[in-house]
This record gives sequence, C-alpha cells and structure tokens, in this order.
Amino acid sequence: MTHARFDRRTLLGAAGALAATPALGQAKPFAGQTLNGAAFQSTFFEYLKAFFPEFEEATGARVNFNTQAFPVYNQRTDLELSTRGSALDVVNVTFIYSGRWIGAGWLTNLSEFVNDRNKTDPAWDAADFVSGAQSAMSDARGNVFGFAWEAGAMLMAASRYDLLEKNGRSMPTTFDELLATCDAIHGKENVTAFVADRLHHWNWIPYLMGLGGQVFKDPPGNLTPRLATPEAIRAAQWYGDLLQKFAPPGGLSFSDDQAMRAQMSGRSNIRTQAITWLVPLAKHEESTVKSTVRYALMPAGPAGNFPGSNSHGLGIPVGSRRKELAWEFIKWALSKQMLNRIVETRGYPSVCRRSVITGDAFRSALTLNGQDVASLYLQVLELGGRSGYMKYRTVPVFPQVGDTINRGIERIATRQQPADAAMRQAQQDAVQVLGRAGVQVDAD
Amino acid sequence: MTAHRPQAGFERAKARFFMLCLAPSLAVLALVTLAPALFLVVSSLTPLDLTRPDTVGDFSRPLENYRLMMADGRLANSVWVQAKLSFWTVLLQLLIGFGLALLLNSRTRFLEALRTVFLIPMVLPPIVVAIIWKVIYTPDISPMHWALASLGFEVPSLITDPGWALTAIIIADTWQWFPFTMLMTLAALQMMPQELIDAAKVDGATAWQMTWHVTLPFLKGVLLVAGLFRLIDSIKAFPLIFILTDGGPGSVTEVTNYYSFQQAFNFSLLGYSSAITTVLLAASVLISWAIIRSIGWGHRE
Repeated sequence: MTHARFDRRTLLGAAGALAATPALGQAKPFAGQTLNGAAFQSTFFEYLKAFFPEFEEATGARVNFNTQAFPVYNQRTDLELSTRGSALDVVNVTFIYSGRWIGAGWLTNLSEFVNDRNKTDPAWDAADFVSGAQSAMSDARGNVFGFAWEAGAMLMAASRYDLLEKNGRSMPTTFDELLATCDAIHGKENVTAFVADRLHHWNWIPYLMGLGGQVFKDPPGNLTPRLATPEAIRAAQWYGDLLQKFAPPGGLSFSDDQAMRAQMSGRSNIRTQAITWLVPLAKHEESTVKSTVRYALMPAGPAGNFPGSNSHGLGIPVGSRRKELAWEFIKWALSKQMLNRIVETRGYPSVCRRSVITGDAFRSALTLNGQDVASLYLQVLELGGRSGYMKYRTVPVFPQVGDTINRGIERIATRQQPADAAMRQAQQDAVQVLGRAGVQVDAD
Repeated sequence: MTAHRPQAGFERAKARFFMLCLAPSLAVLALVTLAPALFLVVSSLTPLDLTRPDTVGDFSRPLENYRLMMADGRLANSVWVQAKLSFWTVLLQLLIGFGLALLLNSRTRFLEALRTVFLIPMVLPPIVVAIIWKVIYTPDISPMHWALASLGFEVPSLITDPGWALTAIIIADTWQWFPFTMLMTLAALQMMPQELIDAAKVDGATAWQMTWHVTLPFLKGVLLVAGLFRLIDSIKAFPLIFILTDGGPGSVTEVTNYYSFQQAFNFSLLGYSSAITTVLLAASVLISWAIIRSIGWGHRE
C-alpha cells in the first residue's frame, strides 16, 4: 500500500475531513477495532487507501479493505450479505444489486445515522450528493442505504485519435459513423478499432436503446423481458458485429481493467464505457496515449442517445458489529474535503457531490488535452436522471437477466448462433429464470 | 452348547463395546456429511430464494424445481458439456499418466528428479493453475501466442473461440491432473512381481507385447480406480471454468455444477440449485457404484 506523504497541506485537509465527524473529536474512540471493508477494484479505492493512515491515526482503528474484480466482488458480497453475517463492516453497494440488497433488508438504514446529530454533523451535508446518483441507494420511502462514491457516466474515448485524423475521421456521433470509423481505422499501426469488456449487459444496452429496444417492458412495474423484439435482435446483431470485426483477439473475455490497459498501451482505440475507465488514459502514469486520447459523448442511434449511467455507494451490512465505526469511515471517505483532495491530487473523475463537481478543482482535473470532459460527464448524468431510462438496471432480478444477455451477445459475437436465434434463446432463458424468482411476466 | 455360551456372551459384549466406541465418530460423521445432504434434499423441495424470506419452508409445490429442470434447456446443455469434459479429461489423464509412468519406471537419479517435476501441477492450488492458464490463453500477454505468432501461426484466443474453449479447459485440467494417474500407476508398477517380467522375457515377448499382455492387465485395477477418482473429480470441475471462461462463450463451457453454482450464488435461487445438485449427487453415486460393480472392487474372494 502506498502511503500518502504528510505535509502541511495534507494535514490541514485531513483535519478538515475529520472535523465533520463528531465522534472523532474524542481521543481514539475506536482504538483496537478493525474495520473490514470490501469493494470492487476501482481507482477510487486505490487513491483512498493512500489516506487510510490518517483515518487510522484519528480513530485508533485499523482498516482492512479488500478489493476484487467486479463479478467476484458482487458474488462474494451477495453471498455474505445473504447470510446477514458480520464479516464485513463496509461494502460497496453495487448499482445492479442495490434493489436486491436494499429490498431484502441486507443493508443498514443510514438515514438513522444521518438524522442523528450525535452521529452526523449537519455540515457533512448529505443533501450535497447528486440525487441521480443517490436514487439507486434509497428505498421507496426515501430511506438511504448507501452514499455514492462513483457515478458512472458512459462516454466514448479514442485512445489514438491521431489515427482517426490520419484517416479523415472525427469522433463519431452516430452508430453509423462509429461503424464507418472503425472500418476505416481497424488494424492501422496494429491497433484494433474497438475494445470492450465482457460486461455486455452494461455495454450493449445503450446500443439497444439507441436502436429503439428495451430490456424490460416497463420497469420496475412490468419486468417482462423484451430481448427478442426486432429492435433487440437488430441491436444485438449490430453490437455482435462490432465486437467480432473490430475488437482484439480474446476481447470477449476482457475484464474492465484489461480493456483499459489495451487502450492505455495503444493496442486498441475506441471504447464506450464509464468515465472511470476512460480518464486514466489521460492521467495514468503507465498510459502511452496521454497526448492522443480524445473524449466525446456516446454516439446516438436512430431512437436517440442513451449513455449508461449508474452509481455505486458505500453501505453497511445489517449484520456488521461495528456499525458506528463503519459510519465514521463512510463519513470520512465521502466528506467534501476528502473528495476534493482526491480530485485535486489524483484527478478522480467520478465524484457524486455536487459541490465538488461544480468546483474549479474538478473542472481543472477533467480538462484533458484541452477538452472539457467534466461537462460531458454532467451531461450524461443529467440525461440519465431526467428520463429514467436506467431504471431497468436496479430491479432485483437484473443480475439473472443480465447474465442471459451476456451469453446471448457472446453467442452472436462468436458466431455460434445468428442474432435472432441467440436473442430468442436469451428471451426464453430470461423468462424461465424470472419465473423461478417468482416474477410474473406477460404471456406475450 | 454350554461351552459356547460364555464365548457368545463375550462376543456380544465385545461388539457392544466396539459400537459404543464407534458411536461418537458415527454421530459426528452423520452430522457433517448426512445433515448437509439432508438439508440439500429438503431445500430442493422448496422455492428457496435468499431475497424472498417467504420462500423458506414453503413446501406447497415440492416437486416444482424438478419439473422446472425438465424444461431447462440450459441445464440439459450443461449436462452434455459435463459429459464431454469428463470423457476427454479422464481419457487423456489415464493415457498420459500411464505412458509417462512406463517411461519413468526406473530408478535413475535423473528420472526420479523428473518424476518430482511432473508432480508439480497436481500440488499447485487450483486457482494458481487457473491463473497460469489464463495467462497462457490470453493472446496479448501469452508466451504461447507470441511464440506461435513469431513462427507465422495466427492462433485465435482459445478461451473465447467456441470451437476451442472446452478443449482449452480440457488441456488445462489434463495438465493439472495427469500426475495423479501417473503416480498411482508408478506405485503399482513398482509392486509388479519380477517373475512376471522374467517369464515374459523368457517367452521372447517384445516391449509392446510385454506392455499389452503383462503390464496392462496387471495395472487394470489401478487404472480403473484412478479413472474413477478422476471421473468423480471431473464432475467437480470449477476453478478453471470460473477463471478462464465463466462458462462461456455463450454456454460452451458451462458444466452442471457451474450452472448450479450460478443459480445459487449469482441469482440466490437456492431451492432450484439444490434440486440440480441433488440430481448431480445421485448421478455421481450411481456412476461410481456402476463402475465399482463393473471392476469388482471390494468383491470378497
């Protein structure tokens, strides 16, 4: 673990962050305790870990925080939460699992902590979190079960924009242009035109919606899958072709990190993904494409532009035996001061506090190669929040439907099945799995 | 008769004493093996879903999960994938293990060192083996792909190519477990009576005839037992699939226990997963019993 350098500025920042937490006014209030936390791998936690010694120094507690690959983390935490066990004190509340974990009563109601003046100073300002990012962290009655540390706004990044220019192309704005651009640049200088990770149920949906399709009929009320409609079949064929023709060999098994590294090393060019995975192309010390990367909004389809947006938060398992300490940790990690420090020192691009997003530090950190990426980020968040097209993703049964989507897209991209057969099978599998989960679907 | 009475009483007391001594062990054994199995069977009769507390203890439609299984095409596919995986891994591990055991059945220092080297894959943690093969199969970081590319061969990514993905798993599994069959065969070979070999030599048997007519019949029992162990283990194949392919692309490498795992731990459908696992357990027991019967293992002469 890399420890932060302690200088005057750091200590002043730390003092500011800790001042917002009343319990930390006492001397080492949690001495001897160990806080166990878990989340999926993200640059945010890499950055935050560097500041752990400050929290440990202030509280006397030890922080044991583990991160795993996205699917591994979700699987483990889903199981851990289902047992209502006490192994974890702080967890990442994953967007696609939020409805399920909150609905099942596996997370602690944080509103009780926020509303208790003895536990939370009003200056911590819970209302400062962007409502769009917080919507997945709340239940129908408005109780909050997590606070967002990341809002994922899907953008497009071309790591080798110079190759686009050399071939007379600019950043594509429509699906047709994206295909034409990929066609023009694929293989030039040994760079594949496109790359994606294997989470097709996240990456494909904007293309599905852009071509007029949808995942469910009317979520969250009507969860009848709509995976075999003509629009869905067309979108699946379109995306499967994109992967098959323009992604690197083995790309179908790429994790988020692998896809990012393919871009950072200049082996792959265009990717549409959450901003967290795209900004390191311009910022990461190992990136070889810092000077050539360009950003743009996700291309639009005939039905419009539907870039994915989501949020992940920090929450406390209902079985945790150190809830007080866990809450102190969440307040510390997501305080305005800490987030500002992370933005200033590391350029973290996905914060969810309005005061931070609209601040100069954020705008400055997200001005990349002269481009105002911060405004692109806000545009996507507003788009997702306004129209509510991301509702499909927070229903409790999305993980199983998402799995059938993943397999359907893989079958198409690897030419195991034509798109219509693959998506009919995905629809049938989704209906079956929803039936097993007790979800009623329409007869059609 | 009267002379036998004290003897019979003593035997009964001895049996009672043995049973008394055995009872705690049997009770613990029942608790750790039978109780979970019983829970599995009972769960399979409910729609147990961790996210729906009302499904706990709902026995209103006890055979529903089994009925659903009949109509589950993905489950049927997983059984077929499992059959292919088991057949090829067991066959290859037996052939390679047997072949290498024959070659290494000598007491030179070099061969003894080589034996140790061959055992390494078997003692590695399964997850490490999976990561090794993940590196080998990922084109942009794979030494195998670099080497083949430098020789002018363009090889697709084996774990994302539907024609190769299962073969990739079979290769990795065989690499990890052929040492087991090799070890068992070697141990048996070293127990082989010298008279058998001498007699064959006196009869003028060639090396091939010696292997086919003397060594192989002598090793038949060991090879069958090794095959049985590997068959049972192949049904438990998991880490390689989890790390390398996640059951894909599509469902090409999705074996039954992996499918069952997904139902339970990705989707929380514990009842349905229990039903699949119950059937899998019954099938494993049945296959093992059939094989044991066919080779006469445990038969009392």
